[in-house]
Amino acid sequence: MELSNHLILIGSALILVSIIAGTLSSRFGAPLLLVFLVLGMLAGEDGPGGLKFNDYDTTYLVGSVALAMILFDGGLRTRWKDFRGVSAPAAVLATAGVLITAAITGVAARFLLGVDWLEGLLIGSIVASTDAAAVFLLLSARAMRLRDRLSSILEAEAGLNDPMAVLLTITCVGLITSTDPSLTLDTATIVAGQFSLQIVGGLLAGLFGGYALLTALNGLSIASGLYPVLAASGALLLFAGAQEIGASGFLAVYIAGLVVGNRRHKATLLINRFHDGLAWLCQIIMFLILGLLITPSSLIPVILPAVAIAAALMFIARPVAVGLSLAAFRYPPREIAFVSWVGLRGAVPIFLGTIPVIAGVDNAETYFGVVYVVVMASLIVQGWSVNAVGRRLGVLLAPRPAQPPRVEIDLPSDLGKDMTAYTVQARSMALRRDLARLPLPENIDVVSIIRDGILRTPADLERLAPGDDVILLAPPDQTAALDRLFGARQPGQNDPDAVGEFSFDAQAPLGAIADAYDFWIPSNRRETAVGDFLRRNLLRMPVTGRRLHLVSVELIVRRAENGRIITVGIELDPITGRWRRLFDLTKVWLESRLGRR
Amino acid sequence: MEIRDLLTSDSVIANLRVTSKKQALQELAGAVSRVTDLDERAVFDVLMEREKLGTTGVGNGIAIPHGKLPGLDKLYGMFARMEKPIDFQAIDEQPVDLIFLLLAPESAGADHLKALARVSRLLRDRATCDKLRGTDNAEALYAILSNSADVQAA
Repeated sequence: MELSNHLILIGSALILVSIIAGTLSSRFGAPLLLVFLVLGMLAGEDGPGGLKFNDYDTTYLVGSVALAMILFDGGLRTRWKDFRGVSAPAAVLATAGVLITAAITGVAARFLLGVDWLEGLLIGSIVASTDAAAVFLLLSARAMRLRDRLSSILEAEAGLNDPMAVLLTITCVGLITSTDPSLTLDTATIVAGQFSLQIVGGLLAGLFGGYALLTALNGLSIASGLYPVLAASGALLLFAGAQEIGASGFLAVYIAGLVVGNRRHKATLLINRFHDGLAWLCQIIMFLILGLLITPSSLIPVILPAVAIAAALMFIARPVAVGLSLAAFRYPPREIAFVSWVGLRGAVPIFLGTIPVIAGVDNAETYFGVVYVVVMASLIVQGWSVNAVGRRLGVLLAPRPAQPPRVEIDLPSDLGKDMTAYTVQARSMALRRDLARLPLPENIDVVSIIRDGILRTPADLERLAPGDDVILLAPPDQTAALDRLFGARQPGQNDPDAVGEFSFDAQAPLGAIADAYDFWIPSNRRETAVGDFLRRNLLRMPVTGRRLHLVSVELIVRRAENGRIITVGIELDPITGRWRRLFDLTKVWLESRLGRR
Repeated sequence: MEIRDLLTSDSVIANLRVTSKKQALQELAGAVSRVTDLDERAVFDVLMEREKLGTTGVGNGIAIPHGKLPGLDKLYGMFARMEKPIDFQAIDEQPVDLIFLLLAPESAGADHLKALARVSRLLRDRATCDKLRGTDNAEALYAILSNSADVQAA
């Protein structure tokens, strides 16, 4: 009894710390999953936590459940029309692409580790697929906005390419452990058969399971809190069932998620919200447990060859595989380059790395260490740089505006409309017109408005004010339009509220500006161009309206193109929160001490 | 901070006849030197130094040239309405016809910034600008400027 209490204590504390550390890491652009992984390592036997955890079977179990849930959630959130447009290139990437990646990385592993061809190929296969958890998480970040086609292909690839890697891994393990490892026609037929079963079976199971789940959701009358649980357990059943018959459970749950997410069903919002939280929890738990599993000191002997393998994967295998796979689809070179760079590895390879260990392959724990280092290297190098690379390649769009506070309510009648409530934001479009002339999309009715806690009808009021709560009856697919209407407008380049009273050329020396407006700057930054100074201290993509506080004024990005600041604004009488002020000043001070001259 | 703390009735020019940004700043520096005991050249140099960092043409036909001068004892403003709009290399590339010049003592610090923010808010108000553009009488201009209530931006 004491043990289980300890487990609860440690488990929940780790999850809480992960969440808090995650919010801090976003300030520095560190990949979130890396933070969870490192926390797991810190809690483990070489870290201050000192927990001994060496259970590959438990890891495999937890990893399976977590991956199934993450993929199901990914499918739920993928819009069919986005998916359809990229399904062909994504499918090629997920099959031929994985094969090419595995082969090239396998050759590298063969020579770098001095193992047999088959063992080399095993390592190549394990690290061949991109990670759904890492890619989904990366692409949902607000600052990472890509053209729809580009983010869709990356998501679809991550959702679809696991079965191929699983298949390759299992085949290699099978060949290595079998008594007669020579590749005969018979084994080739078997492999081809397994492959078709994995893919075709996974697809069919996904479609069938998805529609079955839909029928269950719409047909059963149960307590509303149970709908998301029904969906989750249905997805897990489907995953395990598909695996049981030799089909790909990963593919099946992703497809099932896609089916359920794109069809009308009851409790849509409840299910989406529940699965959003569940996917987060799964990501945290999976990476924590993977961090716990490894003994960092055991990685030291393999670290050099493993880093070389990671480099071969990132700089040769993945670009070649992407280039060949997408050659027929006429993607512009910079998009191909970006897809190559977003080949994030994550939980899937680590998870697949446990398979040879469980199967008792010789030296499997060494291979596991290699895979681990490759994943870490990918998360650190690619995960950390993906924003900068996107900017350099010019594929990033301006970040989405912050979503205005919105609450949705599922109506039990299921007429295809939800109740949606917004709090009107200052500087929103809705404030610029009278209520009667509000540019509402068709099919939307304003039900009522709450001002200062008092219920008003639309007829009572002439115009909305910031802070009003507006309740509307709207179809769920109109939320984007409503977000635009009630959310704060993107700052215009000539709106002094957004970009400050005056402006400077980005080349103007900071010292002269500081003298003219009496604000503090670090003394060794007087000769720095104001644009460079601002860009270095923002730590984020310079986008119109982003600000840096400096004691009595704020410097603001007024105009930026492709990550380069053109004009800097200044706000002379800013209202800044105390923490924001402290944070910015610390940042500026640190940058002046540590940054290059 | 009120506009009448910055501006006196004799520092309003109703019809400034100039054709360029440089000429406008020269004329304004001259006008400043006639009401204060500041050196015309020094005022002009300070204003041009500031323009080098980036234009003070803030858009919508407005310019707010400004700078700090030693030997000034208080904030000093001057308003001019151009007879014809001039090119000021403004941020929106539109010609400028309303200029509010503001000079501050070396030590003005926060007051200087507050005054600039106040002037900027004043001239951001479309109705006020329309009124200013519709009058070519110095006293009327002064009345419009000094009677405007401060609508603090949200």
